[in-house]
Amino acid sequence: MRLIRRWLPIAVSAVAFLVVWKLVVVVSGLAVYILPPPEAVLERLARAIAQGTIAPHAMATLSEIAWGFLVGAGSALAIGYLLARSTLAEKLLSPYLVAAQATPILALAPLLALWFGTGLLSKVVICALIVFFPVAVATMIGIRSVDARLLELGRSLRATRWQVFRHLELPAALPSILGGMRVGVTLAVIGAIVGEWAGADRGLGILILLAQGSLFDIPLLFATLVTIAAIGVGLYLAVLVVERQLIGKWR
Amino acid sequence: MASLCSVAPARPLGKADRSHRLAAIRLDNVTRSFPSPAGDGEKLMVLDGLTFEVGDGEVVAIVGPNGSGKSTLLRLIGGLLAPDSGSIEVGGVAVSEADPRVGLVFQEPRLLPWRTTGANIAFPLELAGVERTERDRRSSSLLDLVGLTEFARAYPRELSGGMRQRAAIARALAHDPSVLLLDEPFSALDALTRERFNAELLDVWQRTGTTIVLVTHSIPEAVFVADRVLVLSARPSHIVAEVAVPLPRPRNSETLDSPLYSGTASLIRAHLGGTREEHAADEARAAPVRDVLDRVGTRAWFDPFGPRG
Amino acid sequence: MRQIVALVVAGVVGVALLAGCQFGVSSSPSAAPAKLTVGLGFMPHIQFAQFYRALQQGYYRDGGLDVSLQYGNDAQLVPQIGQGAVDIGLSDGTSVIPAVSSGIPVRYGATIYARFPSVVIARAESGIATAADLRGKRVGIPGRYGSSWIMLQALLASAGMSPIDVDIRLYPDFSQAGALREGQVDAATGFANNEPVQLALAGIKTNVMAVDDITPLPGPGLTVGEATAASRREAIRAFVDETLRAMREIIDNPELGVEDAAKEVPALATDRPTQLAILQATVAMWQSPYTDTHGIGAIDHDAWTRSIDFMQTLPDLDIKADLSADQLLTEDLLQ
Repeated sequence: MRLIRRWLPIAVSAVAFLVVWKLVVVVSGLAVYILPPPEAVLERLARAIAQGTIAPHAMATLSEIAWGFLVGAGSALAIGYLLARSTLAEKLLSPYLVAAQATPILALAPLLALWFGTGLLSKVVICALIVFFPVAVATMIGIRSVDARLLELGRSLRATRWQVFRHLELPAALPSILGGMRVGVTLAVIGAIVGEWAGADRGLGILILLAQGSLFDIPLLFATLVTIAAIGVGLYLAVLVVERQLIGKWR
Repeated sequence: MASLCSVAPARPLGKADRSHRLAAIRLDNVTRSFPSPAGDGEKLMVLDGLTFEVGDGEVVAIVGPNGSGKSTLLRLIGGLLAPDSGSIEVGGVAVSEADPRVGLVFQEPRLLPWRTTGANIAFPLELAGVERTERDRRSSSLLDLVGLTEFARAYPRELSGGMRQRAAIARALAHDPSVLLLDEPFSALDALTRERFNAELLDVWQRTGTTIVLVTHSIPEAVFVADRVLVLSARPSHIVAEVAVPLPRPRNSETLDSPLYSGTASLIRAHLGGTREEHAADEARAAPVRDVLDRVGTRAWFDPFGPRG
Repeated sequence: MRQIVALVVAGVVGVALLAGCQFGVSSSPSAAPAKLTVGLGFMPHIQFAQFYRALQQGYYRDGGLDVSLQYGNDAQLVPQIGQGAVDIGLSDGTSVIPAVSSGIPVRYGATIYARFPSVVIARAESGIATAADLRGKRVGIPGRYGSSWIMLQALLASAGMSPIDVDIRLYPDFSQAGALREGQVDAATGFANNEPVQLALAGIKTNVMAVDDITPLPGPGLTVGEATAASRREAIRAFVDETLRAMREIIDNPELGVEDAAKEVPALATDRPTQLAILQATVAMWQSPYTDTHGIGAIDHDAWTRSIDFMQTLPDLDIKADLSADQLLTEDLLQ
């Protein structure tokens, strides 16, 4: 029963969303190639999965996201730690970080495709860039939020620098870091798509372009969007699960 | 594997062994100042030429007005701070840094929220590189010592304040230290619990024979627990008096009724003495108490305007 | 539901009439000029000289039209035409086939490019002159989409090959011609009135491989939505008529096109020799053996049918098996 209670609001809102969508289509009388009704999209999605249209593109995009997130979050943890513990580093680096974050990735993507080619590398770079900022800031805030009294405890127990990081700073910073990763992982999806638009062979972003420009198959376009959204939600939930595993018990 | 294990004396948890009454702690003319909190570059002298000794296996309580540097004194002995001048020795060896021979219990339990109680108690051993089985064994016996065996796998947030402080004491005993320093460890507990914990502390002391230095605000607590009570003056502090506590051991609730008990307490109160105005002046001069709420919020990063901004 | 929609439409029309704004539903030339939005799936370019001439010379005005040109990209153009957001557009013929197959209600009404503009180019000295020569070679393309991709597949198919048999290199920034010049690729796709002309002006001779004699793919032409073709028939016909007139004049004398383009779009006033060269190459593609006999703008039904047959063989496109040329074309716009 508890299970139903927890999932009921989500189920209800999903149904409501579909109903509103259908209503909009019916009332506006828009053609299928402008705004397809939900059943057309779902049917096209099912067909695309069955025919194996979506899978290779989805796999390509997922691998870009995975690598990009790994590189971006990994470097963000390191740089975030550096920024947290070194005022000099923070003063030197943070203006550039903010500037980099403000520059729209859509503008940088073609440049990066030029420099890194149209293979996996440029997508990984773009994803990593887009993931970097939220995770770095979250790491920095998290590390800084470690209670000074715990650090004094560490000193009284002669903890080495690494031990302080591993046993005191990192666990204390985990809630913040994981929060940053939740944001980062959804941004990584955007990064992958934008990276593909700047030049790629395969991927859900390419499928969007194909559906729209070559096939003029708008239900497929929407089905691809649904797939992308599902991937984003799935990744977000994955981070949530990791979060519960790591910090659920003691929070 | 750290070599810290060899520094700690191989002393099993057993009966107190006070046959060698060497000075466990010796302070000689220790001074310490801090930059003034007003930020005007002035130096605030907190401790002024403190000299005293604590015998091996003794229980000494330190009382004094707010801001008299009791906590600073404890940190000096614990090796977290260095004196400006003078010397500090523990077990005949000069103190230069934090030492496993000295266990510290702070005012707050300071347990790591992400570790179970058992893991928290084993934490010092883990840092020192002690192997898993030995760690677990020690942790079990320490849990038993402070009566927390059923809570070995509970997380700190599931424990009451008193239980957490017990765990903190157990943790301080992890390396089987020869000296245990406690900085107002029970001040966050209510009076009844406090009395009980005083008795429990003595119980632990009976079984381990560790030298104990207890900083406290509570004169009744000091008298009940200690062999001697050192009374500090207001800042810059020196020792006003050393009051021996003539109460026999073991001490229990009947001790509280003894005239010697109230007499000693009055004596200490007298030494602390001074009029209300002096006390008020002391309060005003005292460094601001660091409240938990002071730490709310983190300084903004990338803030070119600075904290005053 | 239909009643609500009808009421709303009536209300809008009523308000428009009351406000006195020109809604362009005129059927007589003496009424206010009919506003016409014309979609060009590209940016301002000398290849649109006929439109610039018709504007400059007042042909559209004389025909009772108030024409505004809209630039953009081809992928968005066709749905816009179908929906009526754009009244008429110059769109790829190869886009019309999948569009209609997917249910977008558009009709191709007048041929502008009688030859397929997308071609494969190789340096003359490389010896690559036919489709078969491309086997195993490096071919630069912008991406696996668009008319150039269809053209490449048609070209390779004529030699019994498919894209797997060549080494495809992607240039999403459309720099594949530059790559050809640098020698990074052996061949590249491009437009017959663009890259070969640029390269020739730079002193590089090229071999151009076109598909017209292999598979007669339909080049860009004037495409109109079915609804618009019915509701604004006269305006559309007038537009097509005047545009073809301008085209005939430019075919006779391309200089006229260059002059009118320069006046209409200042950016095209620079580097006249290059503009002229490009326009001459463009004009060459407005004509073919079919238009020589049937007139400029005529639509070759058989060619379209063969193109549909070819595109139905391409697995990704999923063109409906029962699609016929009649569903895509209309003869009604030509006088």
